[in-house]
Amino acid sequence: MTDLEYFKLSKPQKMLRDAGGFFARLPKGIGTGVRKLGMLIVNILKGIGANLSDLVTTFKDGDWKTRLSYLIMGFGSFARGQWGRGLLFFLFQTVFNLYMFFPNASISGCYYLGKLSTLGTIETYKEGRRTVYGDNSFFILLYGVLTLFFIAAFIYTWRVNVKQNRISEQLLKSGHKLKTTKDDLDSLRDEQFHKTMLALPTLGVTVFTILPILFMILVAFTNFDATHQPPSKLFTWVGWDNFRQLLSSDTASYGDTFRHVLLWTLIWAFFATFLNYFLGMLVAIMINKKGIRLKKMWRTILVMTIAIPQFVSLLYVSKMFAADGLINTYLMKWGWISSPLPFWTDPTWARVTIIVINVWIGIPYLMLIATGILMNIPADLYESARIDGANAFQMYKKITLPYMLFVTGPYLLTSFTGNINNFNVIYLLSQGKPLSLQLSGNAGHTDLLITWLYKMTVNDTNYKLAAVMGILVFVVTAVINLIVYNMIPSVKNEEDFQ
Amino acid sequence: MSEKKQIPEVDIVVDQEAGVIREVKPEHLRSKSGHERRVNTSVYVILVLMSVIWLAPFVFLVFQSFRSYATESGAMVAYLLPKQWSLDNYRWLLTDPSSKFLRWYGNTLIVAAFCAVLQTFMVLSVSYTLSRLRFRGRKLIMNVVLVLGMFPGFLTMITLYFLLKQLGLTQQGAVPGMILIYVASSGMGYYISKGFFDTIPKSLDESARIDGATRAQVFRMIIMPLAKPIVIYTILMAFMAPWGDYVFASYIAFGSEPNYNVAVGLYQWVNVADYQGFFTRFCAGGVLVAVPITILFLALQKYYVEGVTGGAVKG
Amino acid sequence: MASVTLEHVKKVYDKDVVAVHDFNLKIKDKEFVVFVGPSGCGKSTTLRMIAGLEDISGGILKIGDRVVNDVEPKDRDIAMVFQNYALYPHITVYENMAFSLRLRKMDKEEIHRRVCQAADILGITEYLGRKPKALSGGQRQRVAIGRAIVRDPAVFLMDEPLSNLDAKLRNQMRAEIILLRKRVDTTFIYVTHDQTEAMTLGDRIVVMKDGFIQQVGTPQEVFDTPQNLFVAGFIGSPQMNFLKAKLIRNGNDYSVELLGTRTALNPDQNRALAEKNVQTQEIILGVRPEHTSVLFDGKENAIECTINVNEMMGSELHLHLSSQNKDKIIVRLPTVDLTKEQRQQLSYGNRMYITFPAKVMHLFDPKSERNLIYG
Repeated sequence: MTDLEYFKLSKPQKMLRDAGGFFARLPKGIGTGVRKLGMLIVNILKGIGANLSDLVTTFKDGDWKTRLSYLIMGFGSFARGQWGRGLLFFLFQTVFNLYMFFPNASISGCYYLGKLSTLGTIETYKEGRRTVYGDNSFFILLYGVLTLFFIAAFIYTWRVNVKQNRISEQLLKSGHKLKTTKDDLDSLRDEQFHKTMLALPTLGVTVFTILPILFMILVAFTNFDATHQPPSKLFTWVGWDNFRQLLSSDTASYGDTFRHVLLWTLIWAFFATFLNYFLGMLVAIMINKKGIRLKKMWRTILVMTIAIPQFVSLLYVSKMFAADGLINTYLMKWGWISSPLPFWTDPTWARVTIIVINVWIGIPYLMLIATGILMNIPADLYESARIDGANAFQMYKKITLPYMLFVTGPYLLTSFTGNINNFNVIYLLSQGKPLSLQLSGNAGHTDLLITWLYKMTVNDTNYKLAAVMGILVFVVTAVINLIVYNMIPSVKNEEDFQ
Repeated sequence: MSEKKQIPEVDIVVDQEAGVIREVKPEHLRSKSGHERRVNTSVYVILVLMSVIWLAPFVFLVFQSFRSYATESGAMVAYLLPKQWSLDNYRWLLTDPSSKFLRWYGNTLIVAAFCAVLQTFMVLSVSYTLSRLRFRGRKLIMNVVLVLGMFPGFLTMITLYFLLKQLGLTQQGAVPGMILIYVASSGMGYYISKGFFDTIPKSLDESARIDGATRAQVFRMIIMPLAKPIVIYTILMAFMAPWGDYVFASYIAFGSEPNYNVAVGLYQWVNVADYQGFFTRFCAGGVLVAVPITILFLALQKYYVEGVTGGAVKG
Repeated sequence: MASVTLEHVKKVYDKDVVAVHDFNLKIKDKEFVVFVGPSGCGKSTTLRMIAGLEDISGGILKIGDRVVNDVEPKDRDIAMVFQNYALYPHITVYENMAFSLRLRKMDKEEIHRRVCQAADILGITEYLGRKPKALSGGQRQRVAIGRAIVRDPAVFLMDEPLSNLDAKLRNQMRAEIILLRKRVDTTFIYVTHDQTEAMTLGDRIVVMKDGFIQQVGTPQEVFDTPQNLFVAGFIGSPQMNFLKAKLIRNGNDYSVELLGTRTALNPDQNRALAEKNVQTQEIILGVRPEHTSVLFDGKENAIECTINVNEMMGSELHLHLSSQNKDKIIVRLPTVDLTKEQRQQLSYGNRMYITFPAKVMHLFDPKSERNLIYG
């Protein structure tokens, strides 16, 4: 079908064709994905091969300084006058060796690595009134992971150290001078400035995000929970058991509750994102309408909910809606109702209340964003539409909305993901209540995966399931992101409207 | 340049149907058509209603914070206006020996102040680097951050709690512990300020480098002075976040009351402890927290709006 | 003051996108060289490689006798003027111009002397206290140039410095650059997409397309003896006319057959073609609009055309014609020599007769697109 034929189709026909196109492309897309993955693996293998052969040639062609560097890191750099680099390499090797082979075996890297497969075998026991501590599974797992990190870093650094020797040799051979330590330091302010800038943030993220996440992913495959708490008790690997427990529908499992919570999480994220989005846009359009005065004042009033810390506003509003809260008592005083409205006690009421209160929190934010974008829509778009005879609603539908959706497409996606993990609103308003006997694991009807995760951790110290849940949240988020990235053109073609 | 623009009394308009040029009164002098006026009136009605809804809870909060604890009650009651206005609750919060409010306030302030400095430093380093420097692994870093961001943040908390405990940075050490946690991974929130840096023309860096500046000098002497709005935005965000954080703070300070932040402290008054007696005190505490933060926010609103809209538009 | 030498310089992006292929050029000390070509031809990339803003993927770049492939821009002793001026918005004009000198820790007095001198040359002394935002486009461009001259650089690089100005200002600034060059007297490398700028400014022009150098030469050489179809079409305005024709060899004499006309070539042309042993073949004939002869009486051996558009430019007349074969031909006539009747004759829809003298003919091979004589 040519483009011209396509233009002639009616709207439903076009949609049908587009959808068909999407599915027609799907197998190809999957094929490409698989092929890319294959290529990646091949490339990795090739890379390893190239590195190994390079190591051999470097050794064969290298002088004694280079060869000695295979054993003593940084030796070559030292011998060639680059003492700064040499010192760093040597220090790293020393620290690594110290850590791996520390004389006190119970805190050395090798010890942890050796125990990693069992997570400890010696139980803590009591000898009379004295407690004799055995293995601590928690530390074995944590430091085991850390040791693996360390070993990877060591291999990489060692490889760099060897490569440096080869590069230096070649440079010297071709008559170049090597960089002095002063040059190296200077370059940290210029060519290598990114290293200076990223050193601290990378360290922070590695230790405080990557390491913990890897650790928790591993915990998901252990039985680390209230009954297996180090140091008094050991925990160990259990394979996929926890996933089974969380997902299957046996009586002893959490499958039904999980699906219930997941469904509500998605419903919540949908409403929290799109309701706020459209209402916020509406408010922005109203305030920006020609002839409306005091624009700044209206905006400032709305922005109050952003300014005031959420724990103040949400806790207070939560109490306003309580059975003995202001709203119920006044409604009863005025005789409009005879018994308190079940804002927080009925599942549906609670859910609706939360979504409505979230509108109160969320509209101002979107109003600000929408205002910024509305002002950026080129005025001539509207002028030409008016000349073409469009009325206000048509202009909204054909210009404002597509433009907004286009520009804020990526924002909507992040906002949706953010709402899946929106702990504050739920926890400060309802703590996940009302609870129910139908739900296991202490989950309530307004619990999101993330608040349930929190409860499991804090109340039940059920770390293994918390870890599984964390992974599942990741999976949900990742899948949504992937779908949206592939379906919504605006996320990809950023240039269209500019 | 500074000549004042005269608002013309008449506009010149081309009347398309008649094909002639006419003089018409400009919009602000023209009497509005009936339809237009009706629409505007209903917009005003909606806006006034919204304003009431938006402000009411805060007004109520203030009212109830002034209710006398001694002669009335500290609990939730069935009326709004205090029968007797008093500063009882405030006096108790600030002076009573059993009140830890000042301590919590101090904790939060310290955390917020440190975050404002350190977190801003981290965020700007990362966003500047990713926006304006080109180096191997740049794309990789951005992708890794994207993937890490899909894990719920609280997941890391379990590990971090035990890690911090090893270092003595929980319970008694909760304040430095919180600072460490907030700051350490804050580089991942580089998105909005990177968007801002992306808008500064690249040729400025290039020109400065040709002029003899190192990249560090470009950052300090050229880009930073131009990035004032985003610096203020980042400081504001970093300063405000700790006031509202409940999850991390409650977990780190678990069980050690003097080391709570205001959010955790006031939360337990309302939900865990016998909140009925502490309700008006919660209100007073809320006012004491909200007023300075709100003033700060409104004063810097301009920068907030710039950051938020910029960030959303560039995605 | 220094020469600039590029030997086999190459730029490759992302491993397979080649922006500049094998660029070879020696720029003499104090020479003014212009890189010209359509957008995406690699001219800016080449300039940025010379400046050190882009890595060089292959080859050698020398400034003076020093290889500078891996030298940071700040250590290359160059100055550059950017298309969008790239003035630092947060400091005054004075500080903008003093910026590089301060970074070099120059004596305060000396900085002041140099800034004042440069400002004086460019006539921006009264704006020294202003911020760039308060200046007009032309003034900003002057500041950008001033910022470069205070440095007294060995090489002066300019990347489309006039493209952001309106037409009138552009003409004025162009003249000023010619004057400036006389005063500053250093090596200039100038990038533009505008062939008029290239022709008027350059000692030598480097015409580029798709990452390849098409021709290097003085403006006159490039205009008179374009080596290929692209250069012929790119240099000169309005563009050269291209027509399908036939080159006929008869012993060592050649003639061109075009739309029923036949023109014998000059002895010089004959000799050159014979040397290259060119046979009878199809060619693309190029003739510049201003080199066309119009016959007002008689039509002997002339091409018959119809006038489609008649553009009166004041001092000259541009005629858009179409031949019987629907070829489009543009003719440029000075109006001074035309009588009233002749002008009448040249109005829309009329028929007219033109001829191309042999000496203005450019002959191109349709396949290789090279000039059969000079290529």
